Amino acid sequence: MRRTWAFLSLLLAVSLVLAGCPAPVMTPAAAPAATEAPAQETAPAGEPIKIGALYGVTGGMSSIDGPGLNGFKLAAKQINEAGGINGRMVEVIAIDGKSDQTATTSATTELIEVHKVVAIGGLNDSTFALAAGPIAQAAGIPFVTAGATLPTLPEQIGDYFFMAPFGDDAQAYAIADYAFNELGARSAYMLVDQAYDFTTALARFFKERWEANGGTIVLEDTYNSGDTDFSAQIARVKALDPQPDVLFISAIPNEAGITTKQFREAGLTQPIISGDGFDTPLIAEVAGELADDVYYSTHASLDNEAEIVQSFVAAYEAEYGRRPENAFAALGYDTMNLIADAIRRAGSTEPAAIRDALAATQGFQGVTGVISYPEGQRKPIKSVTIIRVQDGVYSFVTEIQP
Amino acid sequence: MSRAMEGVRRVNINGATRNLLVGCAYVALLATLLWLAQSTLNNYYLRILAVIGINIILTVSLNLTNGFAGDFSLGIAAFMSIGAYTAALLSLPVAMKTASFPGLPAWLQTTSIPFLPATIVGGAMAAAAAVVVGVPVLRLRGHYLAVATLGLMVIVRVIANNWQDVTRGARGINGIPPLSNIWWAFGWAALTIYVVWMVVHSPYGRAMIAIREDWLAAQARGVNVLRTRLLAFVLSAFFAGVAGSLYAHLITAITPSSFSFVITFNIVVMLVVGGMGSITGSVIGAVLLTLLPEGLRQVETALAAGGTPLYGLSQIVIALLAALVMIFRRQGLLGGREIRLPGMTER
Repeated sequence: MRRTWAFLSLLLAVSLVLAGCPAPVMTPAAAPAATEAPAQETAPAGEPIKIGALYGVTGGMSSIDGPGLNGFKLAAKQINEAGGINGRMVEVIAIDGKSDQTATTSATTELIEVHKVVAIGGLNDSTFALAAGPIAQAAGIPFVTAGATLPTLPEQIGDYFFMAPFGDDAQAYAIADYAFNELGARSAYMLVDQAYDFTTALARFFKERWEANGGTIVLEDTYNSGDTDFSAQIARVKALDPQPDVLFISAIPNEAGITTKQFREAGLTQPIISGDGFDTPLIAEVAGELADDVYYSTHASLDNEAEIVQSFVAAYEAEYGRRPENAFAALGYDTMNLIADAIRRAGSTEPAAIRDALAATQGFQGVTGVISYPEGQRKPIKSVTIIRVQDGVYSFVTEIQP
Repeated sequence: MSRAMEGVRRVNINGATRNLLVGCAYVALLATLLWLAQSTLNNYYLRILAVIGINIILTVSLNLTNGFAGDFSLGIAAFMSIGAYTAALLSLPVAMKTASFPGLPAWLQTTSIPFLPATIVGGAMAAAAAVVVGVPVLRLRGHYLAVATLGLMVIVRVIANNWQDVTRGARGINGIPPLSNIWWAFGWAALTIYVVWMVVHSPYGRAMIAIREDWLAAQARGVNVLRTRLLAFVLSAFFAGVAGSLYAHLITAITPSSFSFVITFNIVVMLVVGGMGSITGSVIGAVLLTLLPEGLRQVETALAAGGTPLYGLSQIVIALLAALVMIFRRQGLLGGREIRLPGMTER
């Protein structure tokens, strides 16, 4: 008898789960609508335009995806304060991808199928963009990656996939050119994190440009993200004779500080150069005063005097009570504005029309530079910013058009 | 007396037929439910259901080693990884292989096989790896075995990261055909449950339980301890490999870091919360711990839209739940018992 009851209650539970599957979604989905009801009434016309924000705000990507989402939402807020897009308000639906592929793909389908968004923006890493992109592509929803820089992404995923940032090729070329022309370096040492698409691609493009410029690579060494001891690699650099002119370190933010610290502690004083993986406060925090003579290429400098940059910094500070943490905040801001610009020009919220308008983007003024998509490409031609770290202080050096 | 005898015989004959009929009825029920889901739910819920199916396969198969044979294995991510890479490499369209994998051996570059055989080969490769690794590793028990199987995960990851010609290293494989769906996931899940159920209720299964309770006594009674534990280990690896293939064809992009300790951790929590040594417990654990984070994420999204972003809530609640289950119900929700479905005979 007890067994029968146990079974019956299980059956009940299962049927509730199956029958009520949409139920747990309906309730919370209804909640924001309820809280935003007054906003809707004041909206000039019609329903809000739903735009998905997909970021890994918890887990490994959170230090750059968190600021990215903040920038994204800030842009939406400003758009709404200015009267919306073509008279309609913007509603950002932000789902946490948890820096996990399964969660990211589920979130993408949820945005498309449950929330019926007309476009999606976000994600700062190629691993996740490669998982989420094809879902949006298959559903015919435009996807703009805020910070994934693998240059082949748009071709790999399809014609609904756009990049807001430049590709790794552009930033690698920029730092290679800068080190060769401005720092006068001719020989380089390379240390490459093997664990990421981004770091291996950056190194590949750097080497290509460096050798095309006439520079030499004296040694290529590797490590894997998560390593904390670089003494073996450092010993191999110190054994080099003559010493290389610059140290190129292809790292993600996690290792940016610790590599700088250990290389400097070992008495290696050459300039350290890298890409936007070094765009993190960790260099100064971990290496402290040893963070000297570090140059990296990235999307934007918040010290840039340009009016658009300074008004973004001021608005971010007013909204969140702190300066933007890194360039990914600016990229998130630009991504939302880029989508809004396309909807405005399309004069429609049909995903296909938005896609066509995105593809036709020319001379869009963003915080991270001017975005134009060349005919048939969905990777923008953009300027690259070079930043220098001296005595633990970050400063804007120059902008390069690679 | 003779009537009673007749009665017994009738029940026996009917018993065999009835088992078959009951089996067919359950398959039909499952098919009907899946068909209903397919025709009424949108892609989002179908995706969640597919993830549930995959997690059921993983949890039930892990139960064989961790629950029944009493070997605390943490190698599940490694076997998934092997299955996923093998199946993906086999099922990728030839055109894509020539473009993305210039270094592949010619015979592999020019073959592309359907999903089912690719998945079976994926499972078989994982099982083969389990045989190779199992013989030395199964000399260990308890936390020694746990650490050794964890080491296996690291080894597989390093190989996947560095075998550029075959795995494309850290860049991983993308553009895998999206063939996984609820039919494959639940079809394999049903097969996994059936096989594990049969094994557990066979002499091998009794030997596993005997080893778990007291391996010395089991050995003294003539149980071949290593062979029995190896059987559990290899069978478990096979289904983990199958689940890896299903995962790869669901997510469509895999990298070495797709199969990290996080996956192992999640599956172990599902197993422990459901109750080790209970197949139905594993199913419940898998269903519960796939739906709960998803449901909590809805709450997170709604809260964020309402102005109070509490991202991370779901992870905290899950971890807390696991801790609470361990404090108040250490044996898990079902605690080694099974929920028997009506019509199922005691074996």
